[in-house]
Amino acid sequence: MKRPFIAVLTIAFALAAIVAAQTRRGSRTNKPATQNRPARGTPAKYSAFLHSSDKHKSLACNDCHKIPTVWNAKRDFPDVADFPGHDACVRCHRPQFFSRPAMSGTGPVICTVCHLRAAPREAARFAFGKPNAGDQSAKPKDERQFTIEFPHDKHQNVIARLQSPRLDPGLLRVSFTPAPDEKRADYNNCTICHRRNDELLSAQPLPAQDDQFRKFFKTVPRSHDACFACHWKNQKPINNDCGGCHKTASTFVPVLMPKRISAKFSHEGGKGEHVMECTTCHINITRAASVRGLTPDVPIAACTTCHKDNKKTTYPKVVTIEEEFAQYKTTNACAYCHAPDVGSKKPPASHEAAAQ
Amino acid sequence: MSVNSTRTAFFSAIFIGGLLTLSFAGHTQTPPAPRGVIRLKVRYKSADGTKELVRKRFFLIKGSLDENKALADAIKQTTLISRECYYRSKGASERLIKWLDDNDCESVYCRAIEERELIGPDAVPEFKSAYDLALRQLKTPEVARRWLPNYLPADLRDGYYNLKQRTIEGLLKQAGALSAKPLMSIMTDRKGTAYLTDIEPGTYTISNLVPSESDKSEILWLCEREVKAGDLSIAMRRPFILSNENDPKVKCEVIVRRLPVCN
Repeated sequence: MKRPFIAVLTIAFALAAIVAAQTRRGSRTNKPATQNRPARGTPAKYSAFLHSSDKHKSLACNDCHKIPTVWNAKRDFPDVADFPGHDACVRCHRPQFFSRPAMSGTGPVICTVCHLRAAPREAARFAFGKPNAGDQSAKPKDERQFTIEFPHDKHQNVIARLQSPRLDPGLLRVSFTPAPDEKRADYNNCTICHRRNDELLSAQPLPAQDDQFRKFFKTVPRSHDACFACHWKNQKPINNDCGGCHKTASTFVPVLMPKRISAKFSHEGGKGEHVMECTTCHINITRAASVRGLTPDVPIAACTTCHKDNKKTTYPKVVTIEEEFAQYKTTNACAYCHAPDVGSKKPPASHEAAAQ
Repeated sequence: MSVNSTRTAFFSAIFIGGLLTLSFAGHTQTPPAPRGVIRLKVRYKSADGTKELVRKRFFLIKGSLDENKALADAIKQTTLISRECYYRSKGASERLIKWLDDNDCESVYCRAIEERELIGPDAVPEFKSAYDLALRQLKTPEVARRWLPNYLPADLRDGYYNLKQRTIEGLLKQAGALSAKPLMSIMTDRKGTAYLTDIEPGTYTISNLVPSESDKSEILWLCEREVKAGDLSIAMRRPFILSNENDPKVKCEVIVRRLPVCN
């Protein structure tokens, strides 16, 4: 009688262990991988610069970063456009540059923090933030050590005001399709920061697999130009207060695009002109106090403003959510907005509610 | 060991395993508490007809109007100088006052400054002076135009906006002290619509805290709304309309004042 009892216990524990392992695996968030940083005291230590080291933390940003750098050679606006000069490093790290051990092998490894190679006459440097030239190499790994602190709601308070499209009072154009050069209505000045993404195509080459993001997403400010337009001087945080926006992050924070649910949606035309104001669909965007965790989610209910009733005399006729439901029943796919990875799944309850 | 006892052990194991799995799933998949949504629709009646209140921030405060009486009284007693009077008191030009008024701007950050606003009949003198200063330092005309707000005097740049924010912050601090829950704020769109989502069911006070300027008057809303669990599609069908007209179905205190004539 003892044996079956032990067997029962063993199996029960095994099952419990499997369940626990499965759930733990499921709940594990996709934490960004921490940087593989060399151990302290090793020669390789000086190949990676850490803003978070005690010594570096004790310095002011502009002890090393001179603002502006030789900006007119690098950017068309005053900027922190390059790595600090040699003096910023050498004044503390002389042994790491000039000692015999440092000079042995391929050269002082500390040089590779900024330079492509550790060689005396090596002038080529990695791109510092935005590349200064098209052929400038980016660092082999993203060594981002900061997150950006950006109160989105405060910026909307001051920026998001009505700017009606300026119309020529003498002419009233009557047409179903907009002229190619016709300026789109700029309802709330979101376009001060978020533009059509094709404007930055050449400046921001993306891998081919990221083409879909390029196609659908609006841009976000990626240079100091957008910030300095207001925060160059007087309006805090100003140009020499790097920490006003750049907050040190202990872990590597990769730049992630929000997951696209409606991969076939296009802000700019596509199957139809989405001409509504940004906040008509991005209903929570004026609420967000930070960009951290800010996802531009659009609830299906927002789509019902137009995609609920196609009896209106609009042209071209809109596809309704109800029609898509009918389509799903015959083909098992919602293909108007979604790619197969999402469109082949059962529509959620929110979609049914929106269609009613 | 007999066949019977082995069978009993096997089925017992399955039974216990099943129980464990169910209890674990039950523990981890607690259904989320139901939440509510408010679709706010703000409009006002003026001499030109009924209009939507565009791009104004509204705040959600936990508790009824009675529960928030102290705050409501503070809101009603708070006075704020009108935008026009503020800028006039700071010596702003007629052009700048018109520029701000045309776009319902509280500060010069409200929209990009165009070239025609630097030169020609639409030029704003303050912008021109700041542009000249910016050009001397920045050298590039395009950068000087875009970065021009950096070179404006603080009062004319965003003095009024800051004054208004300080007033709101003071009231919010008071609201925070009175209410256990954090506040939520949302801005109305060009149709006067705003969504307050993911709200715990209960009674709330909705207010713009400081009067919103609209045409020739300023309007302060202090309203109460009971939020029930429901999704966005329900809220879209039943908007919560705030107006300056009397509506017996809505528990609102609306204070409308004519904007003062500035000296």
